[in-house]
Amino acid sequence: MHKYVFRRLLMLIPVLLGVTFIVFSIMYMTPGDPAQMILGEKAPAEAVERLREEMGLNDPFLMQYGRFVKNAMMGKFGRSYTTNREVFAEIFSRFPATLQLASLGVLIAVAIGIPVGIISATKQYSLFDSISMIAALIGVSMPNFWQGLMLILLFSVYLGWLPSGGYGGFANFILPALTLGTSSAAIITRMTRSSMLEVIRQDYIRTARAKGVNEKTVVNKHALKNALIPVITVVGLQFGYLLGGAVLTETVFSWPGVGRLLVDAIKQKDTPMVQATVVFIAVTFSFVNLGVDILYAFVDPRIKSQYK
Amino acid sequence: MIKMTETQASVPTTPKKRSIWLEVFRRMSKNKMAMFGLAIIIILVLTAVFADVIAPYEEVAIKQNLAQRLQGPSAKHWLGTDEFGRDIFARLVHGARVSLKVGIVAVGISILIGGTLGAVAGYYGGKIDNVIMRAMDIFLAIPSILLAIAIVSALGPSLFNLMLAIGISSVPSYARIVRASVLSLRDQEFIEAARAIGASDFRIVTKHIVPNALAPVIVQGTLGVAGAILSTAGLSFIGLGIQPPAPEWGSMLSGGRAYLRYAWHVTTFPGLLIMITILALNLLGDGLRDALDPKLKQ
Amino acid sequence: MLRNKKIAAVLALVLMFALVVTGCGGQKPAEQGENAVPAKEEIVVAQGADAKSLDPHATNDQPSSRVMKQIYNTLVTANEDMEIVPGLAEKWEQKDEKTWEFDIRKGVKFHNGEELKASDVKFTLERMLKSDKVAHIVEAIESVEAPEDYKVVIKLKEPFGPILSHLSHTAASILNEKAVTEAGDNYGQNPVGTGPFKFSNWQAGDKIELVANEEYFEGAPAIKKVTFRNITEGTNRTIGLETGEVDIAYDIEPIDKDKVRNNEKLTLIEEPSLSLAYIGFNVNKEPFNKKEVRQAINYAINRDDIITAVLNGAGEKAGAPIGPKVFGHNPNIKPYEYNVEKAKELMKQAGLEGGFKTTLWTNDNPVRVQIAQIIQAQLKEIGIDVAIETLEWGSYLDRTARGEHDMFILGWVTVTGDADYGMYALFHSSAKGGAGNRTFYENPQVDELLEKGRTSVDTSEREKAYFEVQKIVVEEAPAANLYYQTQNVGMQKGIKGFRLHPAGHHRLFGVSY
Repeated sequence: MHKYVFRRLLMLIPVLLGVTFIVFSIMYMTPGDPAQMILGEKAPAEAVERLREEMGLNDPFLMQYGRFVKNAMMGKFGRSYTTNREVFAEIFSRFPATLQLASLGVLIAVAIGIPVGIISATKQYSLFDSISMIAALIGVSMPNFWQGLMLILLFSVYLGWLPSGGYGGFANFILPALTLGTSSAAIITRMTRSSMLEVIRQDYIRTARAKGVNEKTVVNKHALKNALIPVITVVGLQFGYLLGGAVLTETVFSWPGVGRLLVDAIKQKDTPMVQATVVFIAVTFSFVNLGVDILYAFVDPRIKSQYK
Repeated sequence: MIKMTETQASVPTTPKKRSIWLEVFRRMSKNKMAMFGLAIIIILVLTAVFADVIAPYEEVAIKQNLAQRLQGPSAKHWLGTDEFGRDIFARLVHGARVSLKVGIVAVGISILIGGTLGAVAGYYGGKIDNVIMRAMDIFLAIPSILLAIAIVSALGPSLFNLMLAIGISSVPSYARIVRASVLSLRDQEFIEAARAIGASDFRIVTKHIVPNALAPVIVQGTLGVAGAILSTAGLSFIGLGIQPPAPEWGSMLSGGRAYLRYAWHVTTFPGLLIMITILALNLLGDGLRDALDPKLKQ
Repeated sequence: MLRNKKIAAVLALVLMFALVVTGCGGQKPAEQGENAVPAKEEIVVAQGADAKSLDPHATNDQPSSRVMKQIYNTLVTANEDMEIVPGLAEKWEQKDEKTWEFDIRKGVKFHNGEELKASDVKFTLERMLKSDKVAHIVEAIESVEAPEDYKVVIKLKEPFGPILSHLSHTAASILNEKAVTEAGDNYGQNPVGTGPFKFSNWQAGDKIELVANEEYFEGAPAIKKVTFRNITEGTNRTIGLETGEVDIAYDIEPIDKDKVRNNEKLTLIEEPSLSLAYIGFNVNKEPFNKKEVRQAINYAINRDDIITAVLNGAGEKAGAPIGPKVFGHNPNIKPYEYNVEKAKELMKQAGLEGGFKTTLWTNDNPVRVQIAQIIQAQLKEIGIDVAIETLEWGSYLDRTARGEHDMFILGWVTVTGDADYGMYALFHSSAKGGAGNRTFYENPQVDELLEKGRTSVDTSEREKAYFEVQKIVVEEAPAANLYYQTQNVGMQKGIKGFRLHPAGHHRLFGVSY
């Protein structure tokens, strides 16, 4: 197991090199001069040129990238062009907001998605099944920001129960987490249902039923644990995806998360910040994936043997 | 969103294709929900095709009338008017053209690139496979919003670049699906047979493997069109949507959000239409998946 | 059963993890909705973006200035009527054409306890001159001397009329030498000023908290704590006001203004600002090198429509490039009238009766995108087929500076309230490109007049020069000036003493609740 984890972490290195290279090329090739951006619309040309020189923007591409890699290896990702803050200091100050929101969102999604999915599968074609499937489809089809605005209007403006945005106490979490949670819940419900259906049709379940094992045990004991593996994959993917920041939800709820940090940084051509954020997101994503894979082994011992 | 695991390798093993698709359709026609979805899609496509007949573009869809802005639904404007006094119904009708095109072309781009890469990786295996799939991992680790913004700002904002941006960001998922299918097909007997009679790699891949690997791609593609339409709405939200005055559902939805509290119809109708379209695509996709799944035959 | 327990354990673990993680954020319970107490000592101010830095020399953006205004003071201040009044300098005197002498207020303490000395002023201005971001504001300064503890002498390179206005810019806020040196690169997050509020905490992307400076030289502020919240979406700022989460909201969306006005708990205040919105033409390119075409477009634009439709009336039609609140504004210049016939006539004179195809660039600012759409429709009337291109801000600035555009929409804020700041950069041939003259307009007569306005210290002479410049540039029309934006602030009725500052950074000292 340790070896496996180590190997997976080792594999992260080429991926990160690739990611940074692509991001660096993107930032290099897209129009827009960081120096001009920093100095704003009123800056004289000489000042821009001076700053370009100072920032090393006039150097050839590979030299700039090489410098970045060299500094990154020493843990120096630099300072943001716009705020002059250490990029990782800024990311870490914002990450808790993202982590907490993503966790609560996934929690809501799991709490709704898995039970509803199981019931739907065991009562296929029932009224409950149809209603929950349609609800799930609506959940998938609803644009996040629209849903968020609706929730704000209902719960903050008309009912006055919850704050309309901002980062703070538990009450501030509810609406954004609900917004994120419902769309993930929809995906998890569908996944759970179809994966349960698949399993229920298997021979060993038929055998168990034929043996006279009661239905509850069949579902809980035999079906669920096998159906759970693809569900865990999806939950993991959703979690990873939410950790990368949910820009739209963050914007609607004035949430100081990583997603908005990234989009703002891209818009301002804040290359160090973009690099660091992407590296950070990629690493988090990989860790979540690794966590999911380890979780597999925990759920299904057959898989564990493959990690040796 | 990634739903590919729902479409686990479920590949028909016979190389004949026409009869398969007839059979699939026959099976799907028993699924009322899927047929409902299909019907909606057909109506939407027809609307897009005959948009000019339903409502003239220049005179109605993009014609501003500032005196009549933000009016509610009426006999003259069935679904009301937007912030420039343009008829929302007409814009939705023409928007069908843009939005469906964005969805279909974007998915087409990802299938073309992702499918090719996946097929090559799966068929040749070994080093090539490794290089391609690691590259896909890298792509997957880059937030799609960064890719989209980068492509749009590098190539300039146009309808095609937007489709390209959305398309490219989902290349890895198609590459994975196709690769998985190809892997499961590569060692099957009929492929070996073809190889034995001296068919070239290109011929084997295009004539034998691709048609058989198509099923999961089609299912994923149907859902992908829905995802692309939602992505366009998201990109419009952060200001990188379709260039005005072209009507597109996503930009109508996000552009109207400031008026949500005063003129509900400006966002509600595009929002509903997006939901219905995505719902229909999902129903169709689910139906296709079930119909293509040999385990469900009985 | 054992496996089932395992699954349960996994789920429980995930659950606990999530709870612990979300629990971490709960140290600060929400304090909204407690407005039962009559006199509040805390106010929440909402604006559309987070500050970038609180180091005045590190940035020159509005959200940062709005916060810095509370933390720092300048030598002289432009009050809400744009009159220059004492700030940290009690009085000042012009010794000769190029020499100014300032007497520094005694006994002023910085937030770190240091006393304000002339050496701090010298340090600040010298540091400012080295900053690429803001040096252009004080580029007229040759040297700063501090002959005594409370006396500063500023020597200029050449006579510079608007020097006092420039010293009133928030970027010229006076810093404490010791604090800046100690904080080094992190000064932007640890600002130390002399102002009515002290910096306390900054949750990046979310809020900045300030507390009252009880030793403020003009007296302790009535408000003890100010929170600047970053609420990007305009709709949400209004909602925040309605729910009572926000006390003062800057820049209410035009469409939301009536909502605020009609709410009995809220008030909306509105006033002209110092900002101009304009369409610039690339005068180097066909057919915009023809004056007739530029004028035709000016006549073809219905400015009233734009102001009503996009701004809900929150603007004043613009003739001259500088508004009535700016020194040097020529009141005799009227906006171009909306006259399609005249526009067509001019197009004919230019030999372009058939119209032409062109592009209009805008950045992704929703107001500008809307204006672009209206102009697109209006120019169609005179046969000009306009394609709108939305660029993201970075490439927008870059590519317009390089002159790749046909037409573009941009704004200009004359922060100093002086015509020099408002027109030199826009129309002087030396400022072509990135420095501000993105229309690439060049006219030796205008250059000469602008230089005269800049170097003269005689007010009436300066005014005369600027009047003339405005006449010429409106007639030659390198740009179509659209409107002077009205600025607004929505706030709870209980707030007293809040006044809008034309430059957009309002003072919270003197506000009570």
